[in-house]
Amino acid sequence: MKLEIDNLTVTYRNNGHNLLALDRIDLTLERGRITALVGESGSGKTTLGRTLMGLLPDNSESSGCIKLDENEILGLDEEGLNEIRWSKVAMVFQNQAANFNPAHRIIDQVAEPLIQRRNMKKDDARQSAGDALKRMGLLNHQAIRFPHELSGGEIQRSMLAMALIMEPELLILDEPTSALDAMTKAFVADVIDKVRQRGSSVLLITHDLDLAQKLSDDIAVLYLGRIMETMPAGELFLNPMHPYTLALGRSYPGVQVLRDLGGIRGEAFYRITHQHPQTGEKAMFHNHIIGPGSFHEDRHVPPAGCLFQPRCTQADGDCLLKNVSMINVGDHQVRCLRGGIVNRIELKGVSKRYGQVVALDCTNLDLRAGEVFCVVGETGSGKSTLAMIASGVLLPDSGLRFFDSIDMDEWRKKDYKSLAGRIGVVYQNPSQSVSHRLSVLDIVAEPLRIQGIGGDRKETFERVKKALADVRLPSEQEFLRRYPHELNLGAIQRVCIARALISEPSLLVADEPTSFLDPSVQAKVLKLLMELQTEKGLTMIFVTHDIGLARKIADRVGVMLAGKMVEIGPSSLVLGSPLHPYTSLLIKSAGGNGGGMVQMNAEPAKGGCSFAPRCTLADRACFWQLPPQVCLDGSYHSAACFRPQVTDNECFMENKPCLSGAAPACCN
Amino acid sequence: MKDGHYIKLTAVYFFAGLVMVYASYSLPKWLPGDFVTAMYYGSNVTLTAEQEAQIRACYPCQEGFSRYLLNLLSLKWGYSYAFLTPVSDLILEALPWTLLLFGGAHGASMLFGFIAGVEAAWRRGGWVEKAGVGCMTIMEGVPEMCTGVALLMLFALWLGWFPSSGAETAYSIYSAIERIWDMTHHLALPFTTLFLAYLPGNFLLTRGSMVMVLKEQFVQTARAKGLPPSRVRYAHAARNALLPMFTRFGLRIAFMVTGAVVVETIFSYPGMGTLLYKAIGLRDLSLIQGIVLISSLMVLFVNLAMEILYGIIDPRIRNAYKLPA
Repeated sequence: MKLEIDNLTVTYRNNGHNLLALDRIDLTLERGRITALVGESGSGKTTLGRTLMGLLPDNSESSGCIKLDENEILGLDEEGLNEIRWSKVAMVFQNQAANFNPAHRIIDQVAEPLIQRRNMKKDDARQSAGDALKRMGLLNHQAIRFPHELSGGEIQRSMLAMALIMEPELLILDEPTSALDAMTKAFVADVIDKVRQRGSSVLLITHDLDLAQKLSDDIAVLYLGRIMETMPAGELFLNPMHPYTLALGRSYPGVQVLRDLGGIRGEAFYRITHQHPQTGEKAMFHNHIIGPGSFHEDRHVPPAGCLFQPRCTQADGDCLLKNVSMINVGDHQVRCLRGGIVNRIELKGVSKRYGQVVALDCTNLDLRAGEVFCVVGETGSGKSTLAMIASGVLLPDSGLRFFDSIDMDEWRKKDYKSLAGRIGVVYQNPSQSVSHRLSVLDIVAEPLRIQGIGGDRKETFERVKKALADVRLPSEQEFLRRYPHELNLGAIQRVCIARALISEPSLLVADEPTSFLDPSVQAKVLKLLMELQTEKGLTMIFVTHDIGLARKIADRVGVMLAGKMVEIGPSSLVLGSPLHPYTSLLIKSAGGNGGGMVQMNAEPAKGGCSFAPRCTLADRACFWQLPPQVCLDGSYHSAACFRPQVTDNECFMENKPCLSGAAPACCN
Repeated sequence: MKDGHYIKLTAVYFFAGLVMVYASYSLPKWLPGDFVTAMYYGSNVTLTAEQEAQIRACYPCQEGFSRYLLNLLSLKWGYSYAFLTPVSDLILEALPWTLLLFGGAHGASMLFGFIAGVEAAWRRGGWVEKAGVGCMTIMEGVPEMCTGVALLMLFALWLGWFPSSGAETAYSIYSAIERIWDMTHHLALPFTTLFLAYLPGNFLLTRGSMVMVLKEQFVQTARAKGLPPSRVRYAHAARNALLPMFTRFGLRIAFMVTGAVVVETIFSYPGMGTLLYKAIGLRDLSLIQGIVLISSLMVLFVNLAMEILYGIIDPRIRNAYKLPA
């Protein structure tokens, strides 16, 4: 069985303002594969499912083709559809309990298609239905109950039994696990997996991104009726390419996700097509993107532009105007003019020495726009050096730096001010990073003055007040006139954060930015930063000793040891299941555990792993050879270690090129 | 459902029945006047108080409630002074006619209204449905008295196709088939009156609830299962639109006797309504008591039957009786 959807468009008529539910969808469902369809509500997921069943309401119009084994099924009449329904394409609808007729017993409803469609005898059909229900874990006495007498999980399993009773070749599941407990969810997932093994194809419509990622083979991301990205399922959280996929993943409280929930900026819109004269032109059909509370006149979006553009944090002028088509990026297909999420900063083989001390050994680092990267590690491991090189403040001895794909060193030489305006820096020691001769107003306004972007006095003043209010400092005249020595350390640190953010940078490099804040203020400042990440796509490099903090805010974590990035990867993996023994030790120590676990000032081995003298797992090789790169989870999680702590059931690859690039090939 | 529930239900209904018996015994006594005043009401004779008392003395006065109750249990329903016949005979004679007329009209209007309502809702938005709803709404506004009088004048008095009164031709000797034809012939006009009176309600009610049910998801599921359209319509949708209609049927049946008064009087149909009308006119106390009792017991019985049938029609109601422990 193969189902090909080609250029499918579905609109709902509504008094001239037609709702565009699906827009030129191309999707192929293959035999024995599970395709997950994810996206916000209103993106047209359910409409797609219902279109395949021929169950669109009367006020809908559809065009395009849907081919089931080369037979067109779109536009078939009721009789033709009844041939296909349930025997070839079956659907598990959303809101399960409402899908059963309250007046008939479960078993009769499950048996009904057999009786009516296959002309089976009533007793035989009931027998088969009973068996099917039993396979779903429903006992006989439950099977003969009425729908309202069963629990949600039992209803869901009955629904699956009913959908599978005619052994369909395509099973559409609309939110099959919503409102189910974890056990039932796992059971349902197993059932779906068995359907795949039997050779049927499955279309899984779900909000449950964990399920989509674990269960499905491919994922298609739908936004406002268009497919924005298709990808292999495993990459949903690890390597989203479209900004929408990334934002969607950040909004989902996955089981393994450690960081706080982000979101997608702006409101979920819907699209309508209608006809009315534009100024000076004749009437024409065009799209609108309509959000709650807006007049559609404000939102004339030309059909050419990117749909996600109003909510995208990396959109530029082209996104508003140019036509966006699907492009292939690796295994992904992405509908993004900028080729997916862009890299904000790229460090290629940067290193730094202070005399004999290697502060930073040759290091690669790519940060994508809107990413929060936390650098953790013991003191003296080169965290601050790395951060300051990334911020452009410190010159590396070797290596290349790119900011928004432009060579940072050249940019720095040409026009330092415009580069500095895009990078905000919070230095490690707040009291030393402000001039004691300047008042609070002058400190915070200084970047604006230097870069000449503050406007007149009044505007500068207003922006300073706003910046101070954002970091929960008073913004009265009296406070603005104060000098640093009149403030406590926490207040000075917040002044520093306000100063870093006032030029609205796209990269914030912060070295221990909240070390002097009390927990309540720290929480508020972090919330502000996370909000800036969601709303403006602020990219952050956070240097911190606080593993707990890193857990809460980081998308990715890098672990530094003696000038090397020894482990790097998504925060849930690095902090959840660390590979390097050093990372484990860091995490353990962060919990406030003592007990002779930690040795300080161990003499590092020459040429071997710097952690070897302290490592309980170390053997001879660790002392004399450079540890190899170990990559896990599709090479998004890597560590430099001979004895990585890989749990038994995970396989790992050695010496494969790592995408995250902690130790590059250039530094041998 | 547990047996305990039925026992409780029966006990409640038995008690309610007792109250009904007392009410039907005592309430008619409140009527002003008695059969003596009623007897001479229309004539020129004016009785003195003394004469009235003498006449009244000829008839034994009605005994107390306990006696009445005992008599009821031994199936002695009293004696009608006006008709000089036992009350039970009168009622047994009239009841079948009413049941025939009303049961028939109700049954037919329900069946027809239901099917028409289901089909109309299925074709929602089409001209058949719109025309149907329009006509039925107008018909619903016409009281049965008007329809009855109009039919009587047109078909009985003017065209003369149907007899204007009675349930069968008096003093005739017919074979069984001829008799049935004769009864049908007499039944036609009152039956049509009632059918037309009840049909619009049944139609509109069914259509209304059907329209709601058709929006339910399980109807969509039934369609998705590729079932034949008639199966989707009746086994799934209509099955769940049945309840309001059934409730209406129950209510109407319960008030059969009182509802019968108008139509039966117009067509002089010898049913319970006519009998009640006459009995009240003649202040025939025992007969009134008997009819009221029959009618109130009927209400109780229908209620009980509905309560049990509800659970069969909608299984969810069955569980509503289960109180949390």
